Amino acid sequence: MHLWENMPFFLVIGSLVGAFVMAMFARWKKEWCPYLTIISVGFSFILSCIIMSRVAGGEIIHYYAGGWRPPWGIEMMIDELGAVMLLLLSGSFLLIAIYCIYAVPKEIHPSVSGWYYTCFLLTLSAMMGMVATNDFFNLFVMVEVTGIGACALVAAKGEKLSTEAALRYLILSSIGAAFLLFAIAFAYQLTGNLNMTYVAAELANIRTQYPVIIWVMISFFTVGLGLKAALFPLHIWLPDAHSSAPSPSSAILSGLVVKVYIVSIMRVYFLVFGFDIFTGTYMRYLILAMATLAILFGSFFAFVQVNLKRRLAYSTVAQIGYIFLGFGLGTVWGITAAMLHIIIHAFMKVCLFLSAGAIHYQTGRKKVTEFVGLGYQMPVTMVSFTIASLSMIGIPLFGGFITKYGIALGSLEADNPYFIALIVLSGLLNASYYLPLIWQAYFVSGPRIKLKMDAVPLSMLVPIMIMAAGVIYMGVFPGGALNFLGKAVTRFLL
Amino acid sequence: MDDYIAKVVFRYVTLVVIIYGFYVILHGSASPGGGFAGGSILAMGILIYFLVFGEHWRGRLREAPMDVAILFLGLGAAVEGIKFLVPQKHGLVGAPGTLFGGGWVSLANFCIGTLVACSILTIIYLLVKEE
Amino acid sequence: MTIDFSVLLLNYPYFISIIIFCLGCLCILTQHNLLKKVIGINIMQSGIFLFYIALGNIKGGIAPIYDPGLPEATLYINPLTSTLILTGIVVGFSVTAFALALIVKLHQFYGTIHASEIIRMRSLG
Repeated sequence: MHLWENMPFFLVIGSLVGAFVMAMFARWKKEWCPYLTIISVGFSFILSCIIMSRVAGGEIIHYYAGGWRPPWGIEMMIDELGAVMLLLLSGSFLLIAIYCIYAVPKEIHPSVSGWYYTCFLLTLSAMMGMVATNDFFNLFVMVEVTGIGACALVAAKGEKLSTEAALRYLILSSIGAAFLLFAIAFAYQLTGNLNMTYVAAELANIRTQYPVIIWVMISFFTVGLGLKAALFPLHIWLPDAHSSAPSPSSAILSGLVVKVYIVSIMRVYFLVFGFDIFTGTYMRYLILAMATLAILFGSFFAFVQVNLKRRLAYSTVAQIGYIFLGFGLGTVWGITAAMLHIIIHAFMKVCLFLSAGAIHYQTGRKKVTEFVGLGYQMPVTMVSFTIASLSMIGIPLFGGFITKYGIALGSLEADNPYFIALIVLSGLLNASYYLPLIWQAYFVSGPRIKLKMDAVPLSMLVPIMIMAAGVIYMGVFPGGALNFLGKAVTRFLL
Repeated sequence: MDDYIAKVVFRYVTLVVIIYGFYVILHGSASPGGGFAGGSILAMGILIYFLVFGEHWRGRLREAPMDVAILFLGLGAAVEGIKFLVPQKHGLVGAPGTLFGGGWVSLANFCIGTLVACSILTIIYLLVKEE
Repeated sequence: MTIDFSVLLLNYPYFISIIIFCLGCLCILTQHNLLKKVIGINIMQSGIFLFYIALGNIKGGIAPIYDPGLPEATLYINPLTSTLILTGIVVGFSVTAFALALIVKLHQFYGTIHASEIIRMRSLG
């Protein structure tokens, strides 16, 4: 076994094997599960770091399963965006797994807590496979496994609301997967290949010959992956599912799961169809329109929510709109900002959801009107929460500012300055629903409480702090990430 | 199910169905079918038995399919992995058209068939238990 | 744009599979019974599976199993699509099983599997 050559394979299969080992331990030694999960995710994290260093050295990793070369075999390809996503996924999962040690016994019934880790690792494995694969059918299988794993993560709480939300999520995501499968059927029918690179090469030759089928295909891809990525009119499953799930699951779903679908859809648009077909079928303008609506309505809906996690979930809808807006602009700055926003939003949302979980853990509060005095009761959590919120609004020196600036530059590049007004407006809307929380926590005089440390275990505080530090780091030193992602963008716009 | 005709008929039909399931699994290398198709036939046979002569369903063996499924998942994955996923090692191959014409693949087929049967039974058992 | 109906008639499996797909979609969207929604998912997937099988089929082809007794120029059907659909069936099976488990759970909570009833009960409190 050559670990070096087969690294992408071990990356995916490592956590898959971990998932089934966890299924055995769930019935035998339940209390070992969290630690074994951390070991398994840590293995993936180390492998992703090595892959990242290889890709940073200028290498694009191709792996052929079983030595069968494309177009016959399954190919895995890890480019710059893929390496960043792998690192983001495994790193965030590692932090969330550490958070889970104390959060899971509190939120999930003990009889299923072992199985929770099975779903956890299954989702991680399928998501990494989805990012790494370069084969359409493999993509479909990974999409389905991610869907089932994510639904199980929602349903694990076992309450009325979460079961209902999980069922709705499952039904809608299987509709999405069915559309995706149909789109892949069209791709196979048209080109005779399932490898994305070969499909792209073939499509460039025949695009004038079969305009209608290509139109149908790109719309099916948009519906299928857009449903799973919660693009605005297709977002109806998201708020229920993300708010009723246990908080580690909410962090995974909101911060990471929807992002891998966005990465897939970006690959499909830019690497398979190419920019010309993307614009020529008017799909780009549709994406821009839906992203605009997502930003506005997501923020409006978030503004009226009373439940904290529901507010954060609707905020996710708006933030997904930013990512779609960025790559819908189709310029270098726009796509770079979209990629960067995938990373920064993952940091922010994971931090916010984990903080919400920690607040619920210590005080049992769930509503946005109950934040009075929290800044003195749990200072570490609230400082991290504040950092992530300010980043959401787009204050300079925080990560969110960089992407907003990038999208604004991108809209100037695309000769479409109206989107700058949209970004400013949405920044104001974000401020209107995040700032009241912070104001309440620090400045409203409730019952006089002295400043004291959080009564939350350290293993729950550390992931929150690291995520907040990541937000600040991205805001102060964005240069490295921008340069690195810029290489991926140049290949996207080839 | 308390039906006399069903009991008499399925006392014999079950065996035929199970044998047919094994036939499809083992001849996966020489005819259409294979692990998944044969495994589901096998599971249907056992399921009919459980539904008609239901008393063994609640017995001690009810959680056994899950263990067997996990065991054969590992075995099948290992054999499949040796066959397909490790580069350029394709194992031994028998004469085409014979029972073990596929070499390692026949063995993998058997593991997968048993795995599929056990997982279908496990899922149905879990659904029955929930009510 | 003119449509040549003889082409449609010649390629009738594609046509039927798309009709089945649409019927399944309609079934999911219009039925209030949750079990019927799950059946709708299965109908929709069957439509796609039929599409794939029609894609790989060659008229007069046989199952692609190598046999030295057959002549050289035997027509085989495309095995790739059948293999893909086998995977698709497994995935669809697991989705169905999971959905049924969730419906059993919902039936425990609410005593009904009607979506409209569940929404009404939830709005009452």
